Amino acid sequence: MDFTLESGEIHALVGENGAGKSTLAKIVAGSIRSDAGSMSLFGQPYQPSSRREGAAAGVAHVRQQLSLVRGLTVAQNLQLGRPGAPAVFNAAAARAEVERWSDEFALSVPAETLVDDMPLAVRQQAEILIAVAWGARLLILDEPSSALGPLETDALIALCHRLRGEGTPILYISHRLPELAELADRLTVLRAGRVVVEGADVRAADLREVATLMIGDVTLLEVNRPEIERGPIRLSVSDLSVSSTQEVGCHGLDFEVDGGEILGVVGIAGNGQESLAKALTGQVKLSSGHVLVDGVDISGSAREAIAAGVAHLHEDRATGLAAAFSVADNATARHVGSRRFTRFGVRLPDKIARHARELAERFQVRPPDPAARANSLSGGNQQKLMAARELEKNPTVLVAHGPTKGLDPEAAKAMRDRCFAAAQAGGAVVVISADLDEVADLAHRVIVLYRGAVTDAFPIEDMTSERVGAAMAGLTESAGATSG
Amino acid sequence: MADVVADGDLDDVRSAPPAGEERRLTTSLSTSVFAVLIALVIGGLILLMSGENPLTAYSAMVDGAFGSNFALGETLSRAAPLAIVGYGTAVALRAGLITIGAQGQVVAGAIGALLTAQFFENAPSAVAIPAAALGGALFGMAWVLIPALLRAHFNVNEILSTLLFTEFAALLIEYLLNNPLKPPTAITPQSEPYPKNGILGLVVDGTRFHFGVFAAFAIGLAFVWWVRSDRGFSYDLYGENPSLAQSLGISGNRVIINSLLISGATAGLVGWMQAAGLLQRVYVQIASDIGFFGLVVAFLGGATAGGVLVAALLFGALQSGGLAMQSSEGIPASLSDIIQALLLLGFSIRYAPQIIRLTRGVMANFTLIGKRRA
Repeated sequence: MDFTLESGEIHALVGENGAGKSTLAKIVAGSIRSDAGSMSLFGQPYQPSSRREGAAAGVAHVRQQLSLVRGLTVAQNLQLGRPGAPAVFNAAAARAEVERWSDEFALSVPAETLVDDMPLAVRQQAEILIAVAWGARLLILDEPSSALGPLETDALIALCHRLRGEGTPILYISHRLPELAELADRLTVLRAGRVVVEGADVRAADLREVATLMIGDVTLLEVNRPEIERGPIRLSVSDLSVSSTQEVGCHGLDFEVDGGEILGVVGIAGNGQESLAKALTGQVKLSSGHVLVDGVDISGSAREAIAAGVAHLHEDRATGLAAAFSVADNATARHVGSRRFTRFGVRLPDKIARHARELAERFQVRPPDPAARANSLSGGNQQKLMAARELEKNPTVLVAHGPTKGLDPEAAKAMRDRCFAAAQAGGAVVVISADLDEVADLAHRVIVLYRGAVTDAFPIEDMTSERVGAAMAGLTESAGATSG
Repeated sequence: MADVVADGDLDDVRSAPPAGEERRLTTSLSTSVFAVLIALVIGGLILLMSGENPLTAYSAMVDGAFGSNFALGETLSRAAPLAIVGYGTAVALRAGLITIGAQGQVVAGAIGALLTAQFFENAPSAVAIPAAALGGALFGMAWVLIPALLRAHFNVNEILSTLLFTEFAALLIEYLLNNPLKPPTAITPQSEPYPKNGILGLVVDGTRFHFGVFAAFAIGLAFVWWVRSDRGFSYDLYGENPSLAQSLGISGNRVIINSLLISGATAGLVGWMQAAGLLQRVYVQIASDIGFFGLVVAFLGGATAGGVLVAALLFGALQSGGLAMQSSEGIPASLSDIIQALLLLGFSIRYAPQIIRLTRGVMANFTLIGKRRA
């Protein structure tokens, strides 16, 4: 991989999830070492062996997961771990320094507010401010706009331009193409760890072509997709909106899924998928609209969703399982509140263990030991355990969020088969995924989410790199209308 | 994209823990045993430094805690309220809530029990005693109701609000015992003697082992039922993983409010026990330090049925044994205070990250309010 960043430029690094953007950023920052090759920084040979060395050389890496310490103020974060900071914290000096930088960049970062109490956009500004105060000569911003609204993104762009004005080069990692036209000078496209386009002039580039290059060829492999008979509409979503302070919500979604149909919801992570998954499973109050399962409104009630037979494979196994609880407790947790495994309100451990063993065997959880703790299982078996809990009965609606993410081929195939089986049994299946191959393997039909709204919808046969790429990157007219 | 292992140095210090981590509030058996051993060893070292023989001291303590009917009665009558508060607190701990307001709820419960008992002054004991117990439990619940609602609906941290309500209880009892509840003849703040028909008699004469101690066994059995019940399981599940629990249809607000109310009710019951059994009058110091040590008992016992029982007996024995050691060997009873304090300190350090984060947040908000006013 060859790559140059010139001084005083904003260089955008784009690519799909897993294209190698963050790895490149970490190599530059010193967090990981390259296996081969060399780097130079401002004309000097540069071979950092740790992030601390990278920071000492003036490279600051602002990550998606911000590194400000919660429970401390911005002024305290400024001094914490700062190279050459005095041993005793000088509150007044630190405050003055934060205020000075904040003024210089026309920001309003409060020096003495707890990080916890600041909105995400301000936290991010604080982190950039701290990086600059620490003497950064090169900034790496990793997906800085992924959780920001349009106004906040504009403020970020203005900050980047001001920093460029001071001569600080910025490596800006993003999948959001529309904002790059305004922000960046040059553009490099990565795909599967390789540079596809290096240093193209952003203003002259055709963003649609860039989007296509990002995605690469979408291969519609003829996986053994079984013949599935279509039934009547089972899931009906109308005018669905969710507002969330944590992430991008959903705006005005309308779609229906038939029994036996698998709908793929694609989009780059952080474009409203989590809100959609929660809305479909009754876990969040809707700001408008309805979710109907077989005609029954389950909006905003997880209890009713479960009663209506909605199953949910959580995206993150850590949140989808009670990690410290046993396999038996996890496998039967969906029965909580029913009287199936209780007598006089007391749980019957033997009955639960027997049932859990049957489930674990049916869903091939290894080892099928009801007493084992869930977190002692491998990732694939944890996923199977979650499936055992959720798919014990054929679901009316299955919401599978990244069902094969991070699994080995055998476990991934098992999860795909679970999704097909749910559809074959007459269920409506919604597969939410950032992995296009996963969706291509499973779905009959695709909708594309960008900033919480649907930018495109088409049957799987029509899925081409150009079309998906443009819709995922927000390059469609309807996207312009919602994000503008 | 997989995160990288070699990511070292700076990140260790500067990365914030992902939300939801460090939630587990229940301790393991080994932690608890280790904590007790360390406290005993440090206590022994302090004895050595002051020229006493630790073995003599500890054997006098054991003798004073278990060596006679009187000693056993003392130990049990001190352990019982700690166990009850411990079980109530454990229900909240298992649901992921740290309530430290038992102290105030004991006070409220004592007031509630006294008022109820006075209302039923002429009723038969079979009516007056359960009525007063219920009155105490209800007052204890009432004392945690506002913190519980604040936590459920506005996410106001329960540590602070319950502590604040402990202060309110202290002020209230001081007012009541100096004014409306004070007998005209009394000089110091206290209530009228507890109505005769409501008093819990002694099980063994010549000791302070009163019938109220059996309430601890009843609560212990109820706790055993709770941890095995489906409802209790759903509360535990919420404590382990709130978002999963909610996705399974368990209402977080209900878990929060109910578990805090349960802890309030048990503490209120202790107020009744102390007023009707041990002291037979209400004093300002009726709660002694039961509320706070009950919390330590819950932590030390790992919020389990057996653990809380053992921890409560340990604390009861430390307290009664310490006093006996002072009279037999002349070694100050403050030794047992030191050991209890070391245990309390140990558990404060164990939970320091949560507590510090919280108090800092509050302080910062106060500073902000100050600035806005200025």
